[in-house]
This record gives sequence, C-alpha cells and structure tokens, in this order.
Amino acid sequence: MMANKKKENSPKNILLSIQNASYRYSDAVADDYALKDISFDFESGKIYAIRGRSGSGKTTLLSLISGLEKCSEGEIIFDGKSLKDMNLDKYRNSDIGIVFQSYNLLPFMTAAENIILSMDANGLKIKNKKEKAIELMEKVGLKDGFADRKVLRLSGGEQQRVAIARSLSYNPKMIIADEPTGNLDKQTESEILDIFQKLAHEENKCVIIVTHSQNVCDSADVVFDLKKVKEK
Amino acid sequence: MFIFKNAWISIKRNKGRNILIGIIILIIACACTITLAIKNTAVDLIQSYKSAYDKEVTIGFNRENMMKDFDPSQEEGRTNARERFDNIASYTISDVEKFADSKYIDSYYYTYGVGLNGNNIEKAEIESNNDMPNGFGHGKGNNFSTTDFTLTGYSSLDAMSEFINGTYTMNEITDNAWDVAFDGNYVFINQELADYNELHLNDKIQLKDDDGNTYEFEIIGIFKENEEEGQTMSMFSNSANALVTNANAVNSIVSGNENLKGDLYPTFIIDSYDHVEKLQDEFYEKGLDENFVLQSNEELALSGVSSIQNINSFATTFLILTLIIGGVVLFVINMINIRERKYEIGVLRTIGISKLKLTMQFVSELAMVAVVALILGAGIGAVSSKGISNSLLANEINSSNERVEEIGKNFGNDGGMPNRGDRGEMRGKGMPVVQAYDSIDAVVDIKVLVELLGIGLSLVLVSSIASMVSIQRFSPLTILKERS
Repeated sequence: MMANKKKENSPKNILLSIQNASYRYSDAVADDYALKDISFDFESGKIYAIRGRSGSGKTTLLSLISGLEKCSEGEIIFDGKSLKDMNLDKYRNSDIGIVFQSYNLLPFMTAAENIILSMDANGLKIKNKKEKAIELMEKVGLKDGFADRKVLRLSGGEQQRVAIARSLSYNPKMIIADEPTGNLDKQTESEILDIFQKLAHEENKCVIIVTHSQNVCDSADVVFDLKKVKEK
Repeated sequence: MFIFKNAWISIKRNKGRNILIGIIILIIACACTITLAIKNTAVDLIQSYKSAYDKEVTIGFNRENMMKDFDPSQEEGRTNARERFDNIASYTISDVEKFADSKYIDSYYYTYGVGLNGNNIEKAEIESNNDMPNGFGHGKGNNFSTTDFTLTGYSSLDAMSEFINGTYTMNEITDNAWDVAFDGNYVFINQELADYNELHLNDKIQLKDDDGNTYEFEIIGIFKENEEEGQTMSMFSNSANALVTNANAVNSIVSGNENLKGDLYPTFIIDSYDHVEKLQDEFYEKGLDENFVLQSNEELALSGVSSIQNINSFATTFLILTLIIGGVVLFVINMINIRERKYEIGVLRTIGISKLKLTMQFVSELAMVAVVALILGAGIGAVSSKGISNSLLANEINSSNERVEEIGKNFGNDGGMPNRGDRGEMRGKGMPVVQAYDSIDAVVDIKVLVELLGIGLSLVLVSSIASMVSIQRFSPLTILKERS
C-alpha cells in the first residue's frame, strides 16, 4: 500500500486501524479478492482521501470501515476495540457518521426530520431535537428556512449538507464519506470540503473520504491510493 | 418509542395502502366476530341441550361382528351365523351390577321383559300380529311374538321411560301402589286390556308359561297410552297387552324356569360420551361377550340441535376460509409494501437502526392499523351477528322442513313424514327432526373479543413474515447501490 502523507501529527492519535484486512464476496472464486491485505491507520483531526479506479475496492473498503460488511481476513480496530466484537448498529449510530454520494435522505421527510430520525436512532435524549437539527444545519451552511422543506425540494448541494448535518447529529468521532462531492459543481464542492476541513481540524474528527476528485485529494491531509496498491 | 413514532409517521405517509389494509382487516374482523359469536353461542346451546339429556349407554348387538363371514347363499354360512347367535353368552342382573361398578357410570337401571300367556285373562283383540310395546322385540332369545302378553319389569322409577316421557299415563292407581310396585307380584295394566277383561284395581290376574307354570299378579294401576297427534282412530294401542311390573318379579319367573328366556335391557348413565369406548373395553374385561357393543344416545341428544350444528359447522368453515384468504391477501400486500420501501430500509439500516427495531416498526405499523380495524370490525360484527345468525338458522330450518316435505311426498303423504305405527315417526340417516331452537342469540362477549384479538395478532404476525424475512436478508449497501 502507498500513502501520501501531507501532514504529521505527533504524538499519533490513532482512531481507526485497518490490520491486514482482506475482503472477498461470498460468491467470488477462491483467490478473487476485492481487497487484499490492507493495513492503514486513521488518526483523529485529519482528513483522509481514498482514491482509486473503478473496481479498485474503494467502496468495499468504506463498507468495511463503516461496519456494513465484515472482513474476510484481518481486522479493523476502532478506538481500541475490534469491530468484530462491537455492535455494528450501535457503532454506526453513535461512533461514526456516513455521508453518501447520493445523499440517501428519506424523501418523504423534511430536512429537519431526517436529522431528528438519526438522533432518534442514536437514542439521543435532548429536549428540543428540532432546535438541535436547525443548529446543525446552520453549521453546514443551511439557513433556518430549510428545516421544514421536504428534501426533494432541496438542491443537490443542499441535500448533501443535510446529509452531513445528519451524520453530525450525535457527534460521532469519525465521518466516512463516499464520493460526497461527486454530484456537485466546483463551487459547492469547495464549500462542502470546507465543512470537512473544519470538522477535522477544528473539531478533531477523523474524516475519511472515498473520491475520484483531485480537489478532494488536494484538500486531504493523507491520500490513500488503492490504484497504486493494486498495481504494486 | 422511536419505533412507534416512526411507525405512525409511515402510516400517515402511506394513507392509501394503510386504508386498504384497514378495510381488509375490518372485513376479516367483522366476519370473524360474527362467526365466532355464532360458533360460541351454538356450542353453548348444543352443550346445554346435551346436558338436558342423561348421557345414556345401552348394550346392543354388534351386528357387524355377528355377520362376519356370513354368506346367506350358503347353507353352511347360515348355520354358522345361527350357531354363533345361539352361542352368544347373555348377561344377567348380577352381570349388569358388576358392569355398573365403574368410575364412568353415575347410575343405572334396567328393564326385564318376558313373554307369557293368560290363564284367567284374554289378550285384547287387536288387528296386528305385532303386539310388542316400544323398545321390545329386538333382543336375543325373546319369545314375545308367540305369547299373549309381555310382562315388563322395571328396576326403578328411572327405568320407566314410557311414563317419564308421557307415552303412558296412569288412569287409576291404588293408594299404596308406589310403595309396593318394585317388590312383589303387582302389575299395571292397560285400560284397553282392563276394559276387555272387565278388570279393576286390586283384581288378580294369572299368567302362565309354556310349561304350564302359573304366576299371579295383583293389579295396582291402570294406564293408558297417549296417541300421538295425527294418529287415526282406526289405529290400535301398541301397549294393550303390555303388563308392567318390577324387575325382581320377572327375574324370579325367569330364574325359576330354564326354558323361559327373558330380555334384560340395562341403561347406564355415564359421565361423558367421551368415555363410551373405555367403558366398553371395561365391560369386555368384566365378561361381556364381544358380540355386544355399547350404544350411546348422543345422536338422539343432538338431534334437536342439528340445524344449530350445521350453522356451527358453516361458521367454522367460513372462519377458516376468511382467515386463509385474508391472511394471503395481507401477506401479498405486505410483500409489495416491503419491495416499495426497500430504499427506506437501506437508509435506516445504514444510519444504524437494527434489524430487530426495523422489523418491530413494520409489525407495529400493521398492528396499529389492525387494532383500529379490529375495534371497528368487532363493533359492526356485534351489531349484525344476531340478525345474521337468526337469518342463517331460519334458512337452515326452512331447508330442513323442505326436506321433510319432499321425503313425505315420496311416501305419498303431503303432510310430511309418515308414521310407522309402533315404531313412531320415521327418523334416521338424513332425516330432519323437529328443532329444539328456532332462534340463536349470538352474543359478542369477552370470549369472542379475546379470540378476535388472538386472531388479529396472529394475522398481523403471519402477514408480517414477508417484512421480517426481507429485513433480515436485505443488505443496506446493495439496496443503496441499486438506488444510486
């Protein structure tokens, strides 16, 4: 594997560690691995970009990190605990926030309701969840008026901001984003990346972004190139 | 709370589908309420009607066993059957007492009959060769058909079924008749016989057997046989030559003459019809010949509620069909529902909602709709169950009556079933009888509501199987990829 390290934090504050992880689909032949023998550490307070060609295993790696799939071999350690020993539903609704390229918001709900749903899933006990949702939306650059709008009436950039606000609703330690700017124009992409920068550098969150975008790679602290790994 | 909140949001969002599900459950609930009310009431009526009858068993011939290997075309076969019939070990009063000593038997009584000729009296002139009273003449070894009189001895008042059911009523009786009736040589005779022989209370009659032995009896009562309505005046009394005494008197006659054979008919009052087979096995162990079987009066006890039984069967069948069809329809709707909401499931799973919570949400959605529909259905069912049940019963009774008339016409009788003289009204397989109930008060009570709730919950769970299985199998990432 190969990583371009742009910044160094010392001492190391490793939040997530991938250790010799391999993944093979259940219907794949014996040696056909989607990912093979991957090892990498992710630290808090940094943005990581994972790039690679289509089919290089980017999304597979992201689904392993987010606990949507389990390693065939090796393991992933989060905050000192193996994901194998963790309740992955609990892990997804309290330790990490996931942002998708296609936003994956529930279209029949308003922006605020989508965020509140995530708080409810986490079991967050606060008095005024809507107020908190509005606060989070403002944090990602959405004004109060967006709260009661159905998400289908929002633009792509606005929906992605709602998705980010949703992922922040229970204050996770790590944000995992799958092509978060893939459907957005340059201007919006830049604004979204600013949000991720703030989350990493001001709120000490670990942000992992799977991307094709050079802009994203440029703004990342560390770039993890799956293409190079495969070729190597 | 989160589950119910989400379920409620989903119900409001999918109004059309949930109204459709609600209507289907409402129809099922309504149908179930009516059928359960009818069924439970019918069962209660049948039980109360059955309990009004004593649960009786009698001993009869096992005709199937006796006719085994019988070939009427072969002389040998006929001889074998006759020999088998002659060799059947009959039972005595002491056997009956032994049989009656059983945990299944509450009480018992018996009649003991013997055929004798008159010594100082003459048989009443009747036009039939068959002068046997009801219930006699089908036993083993009786010689009634060749004698003038039938002397029937009863073991107790309980055994005097003809007096209990009103076939006979006493015209005259001596003051101390019932004090002496069950011990000693006393008889009750028919009014017709008394008139024919100019006999009165306290007169003595003499009877004799074929060996010339005579037996004297004092008349302590004179009874008459009540003719059934519609019987023509030309018909004679069936019991003109029937003499009624006590079982001890008959026993002393029969036991004193080995050429005289009496017919002993015990009746056992049992605790439950369910124990007839066990009791029969017990009787065999105690020495009852296996050519005899026990026969219960269960069929007779239920004959007056056959229409209610039919309604009960109809209600059960209808209930089962409603549940199967309703269950299948709900299952299919749920399956479509799940397919349409695959994306939602994917998103919810991704944000960390567990499979269990998600399954509970889907089941809760259906349960909420079901509860409302069940309440409405139970209300509508409660209002309409009485009317519908009575309408069904009226139709059933009408069709029974039509069947009676049709069969009556086959016998050339427009007025209904023909009377078969001494054997009474024709009844038997497929023959409808007068119904004990002409209305059924189908009430929706707490039992019906509990059953309805059980059915509703079962339906919800069964029709939710689609969502349960799908949620377990769906991979959130695959769903979201497909969507992308």
